[in-house]
Amino acid sequence: MKNVITHPGRRRVRAAAVLLSAAALVLTGCASGGSDSDTDSSDVTLIDTGKEIEEVTVAFPGSLANLYIGQESGILNYNLAATVQEGLTKQDADGTIVPALAESWETPDPSTYVFKLRKDAKFQNGDPVTPEDVVFSITQAADPEASPGTYYYLTNLASAEKTGDNEVTVKSVNPDATFLINLSNTGAVVVTQKAFWEEHGGNVGTSDSLLMGTGPYKVTEFQPDSHVQLERVDTWWGGIPKAKSIRINFIPDASTRLAAAQKGDVDIAFNVPINQAETWKKIDGMRVESLNDLSYVGLMFDQNVAPFDDIDVRTAIAQSIDRDAITEKLLRGYGEAATAIMTPESLSNAFGGEEARKELADLPQNKYDLDAAKDLIAGTPADGLKTELTYPNTGPQIGIAAQAIAESLKKIGIEVKVREVPIEEWLATIGDGEHGLSFMWYFSTTGDPSEVNGYLLGPDNPNAFVSDKAAALITEANALTDPKERAEKLLELEKLNAEEVVNAPIWWGKSLTAISNTIGITDYSPYTFTGVWGAQLFAAEVK
Amino acid sequence: MASRSVARNKLARTLTLRIASVLLILLVLSFITFTLLYLAPGDLVKNLLGNRPSTPEAIAAVRAQYHLDDPFLVRYVDWLLSALRGDFGVSIRLQQPVTMVIASRIGVTTGLIGLSFLVAVVSAIPLGILSAARNGTRIDRASNAVSLFGLSAPSFALAILAISVFALWIPIFPAYGAGNGGIDRLWHLVLPAAVLAAGIGAILMRMTRAAVLRELESDAITFARSRGVTEGTIQRIALRGALIPIVTSAGLILTFIIGGTIIVETVFALPGIGQLLQEAVLFKDLPVVQAITLLIAAAIAIITIIVDVSYLLLDPRVRARELNA
Repeated sequence: MKNVITHPGRRRVRAAAVLLSAAALVLTGCASGGSDSDTDSSDVTLIDTGKEIEEVTVAFPGSLANLYIGQESGILNYNLAATVQEGLTKQDADGTIVPALAESWETPDPSTYVFKLRKDAKFQNGDPVTPEDVVFSITQAADPEASPGTYYYLTNLASAEKTGDNEVTVKSVNPDATFLINLSNTGAVVVTQKAFWEEHGGNVGTSDSLLMGTGPYKVTEFQPDSHVQLERVDTWWGGIPKAKSIRINFIPDASTRLAAAQKGDVDIAFNVPINQAETWKKIDGMRVESLNDLSYVGLMFDQNVAPFDDIDVRTAIAQSIDRDAITEKLLRGYGEAATAIMTPESLSNAFGGEEARKELADLPQNKYDLDAAKDLIAGTPADGLKTELTYPNTGPQIGIAAQAIAESLKKIGIEVKVREVPIEEWLATIGDGEHGLSFMWYFSTTGDPSEVNGYLLGPDNPNAFVSDKAAALITEANALTDPKERAEKLLELEKLNAEEVVNAPIWWGKSLTAISNTIGITDYSPYTFTGVWGAQLFAAEVK
Repeated sequence: MASRSVARNKLARTLTLRIASVLLILLVLSFITFTLLYLAPGDLVKNLLGNRPSTPEAIAAVRAQYHLDDPFLVRYVDWLLSALRGDFGVSIRLQQPVTMVIASRIGVTTGLIGLSFLVAVVSAIPLGILSAARNGTRIDRASNAVSLFGLSAPSFALAILAISVFALWIPIFPAYGAGNGGIDRLWHLVLPAAVLAAGIGAILMRMTRAAVLRELESDAITFARSRGVTEGTIQRIALRGALIPIVTSAGLILTFIIGGTIIVETVFALPGIGQLLQEAVLFKDLPVVQAITLLIAAAIAIITIIVDVSYLLLDPRVRARELNA
């Protein structure tokens, strides 16, 4: 934040959301953010008018094919489902696990969770939520065929049973600190009605079966490549939201999305492209908010592919990445140079924001040093290497970084051909045993510290990295319930990653959201759009 | 009477042969599409599981669910046998029957294509005729310049320009979306249809101009002129001679449009067949790709047959050659 004060023309330094009155909010960036771009958040002060909103129009940058997160599990699927279907637990604005459908829970032993369900919880058709529905939903979410997108989070599930009129007991195979979060809507569990599921033969989330949930909004219409219509319900235990309906339009083309916003047809636009940020900011009556979005971008090395099995080659490549230049210049501050895989936000339960940043920065780093890289690469099989680096068409910012990295690698004698491919093709290259060098781009939905590094270093990791030590560290970490002790273990895991250069972290991402000044959002944080955001909207006026 | 029934039989035989050859082409095409999609980059399992960890057992379960481990030919024959029974399968990406998915999209695309074809025909053909009749004049040069613009401007750039001008600066039309049916749908389709019509209209205008010009310069017309036939009659004769090339090019162009819909539907966020096809190809959603490819091929074949049959109506010489030979 230091730079901000000296920055000419910026007189105000904003911090956390400042509560002006019970309902008036200043919507700004996350207070824990240490990078300059936090100050790019809007400085509009909004007042809650207390009025109802007829309809909120949301623009998504791409279409959903299926609304059920078990079937299609992109970040936008989670964003949409979050306000329609609830899990047993959810995350609050800080990422802390709090009750959702379960009003409370007990853990008689580290592998057992006894959930008391809310008596006033109802499905959107008015039926009460039964323990059978909850058990059924968990079982489906853990089945790879019914829920290919979420089953992995529940591989540690031992059993889920009804143990009382309003009680469900869920057991894990091993004690697991991530287990509770996986029973939330940001993990794997969104509770649906058993009868509804069976009526559609398990084909839910399509345009003719839609979704059944317990959230404040129900889906009334879904047309892939066009829109989703949400209507508020009066069955939600949490009360009645302000916005009567929410229409989500899928607008894949960035220029069209911008034009629609300029025309005043959009109230909230997700994922504003970084290269258009300045234009969006000029739209009258809209503000652009940037928040760390719990995403990670880094390079991966497939250790089955020569010469990336050579640690000197991996180190030299990691040393050729100018993270600061990429985040400051190419990403225009909408990203933070990553010193590890896990984000500082994911450690918020263990350390405060700045402390987490310091802990992560103290890990061994492969700092940008082309001379050292050149020395290291000499004599390795990578001398004169020609390779390819692909990036997904949905991440143009990754393409910009790829060009910069290719430029640096050229200087140490590695020729990299950068190629944009459809995201589907990019997905297929991850861990395919052919692409030695590739990008990892991962949106963590839970924000749990082990979600991404557990994937990239643990068993079945896509780097072909074999390490009993890493596997043991992950198991040990996840068996610990104390956030600080767990964080220590995960820091050890990150140290191992840095020393072995399994992955080369580049940046932690930020998402830009453009919001009309007639709409306010309470408790705006990186966790907002994976929570019941529909219920957090209010009619606003600029103060 | 006898000669007329012979002619009808000949027509029936010609049509039967044509339809049989179309079916054969569709069969070959289905095999080629199947092979190309099989060889294309991407991995269905990864698309289904997303960028997430997965266990080998789960990958095996998903592969088994979609028969991905069956030999290539077995998979093709399975598909073919189902398709012959009228069962085009279930879209893997959308988890809905393919026929239902296509049915929900076809309205937007046929509306878009129909409207753009109409716009192209009513604007380009008269312009082409006028341009040929006023060969070398300022009108000719101006219409050539317009067609050059339509021909060379890329659809996506033209689409964005159209949105900026007619949805933002002069806010007459909506910027995106397909509207809510009826007049609203038509209103939403005007801009995308105009963009799509620009390219094909330009081709059609050029072809019309060339065909009419060729007729006007033919010996028959020169002779007619020398006999003192009025200019109006001459133009009518020339136009009749030019009709076959014009209809042929119009038919060909209709098949071109289908490719253009992918771009236009994406920019204008229209839920049509074009967007569906593009996403299905990327996702390796084989049942959808197969069904759409065959649908498009069948549509092209039908258009071609209609164009051929129209020759019989348009030109007595063709009629005589085809039916009385």
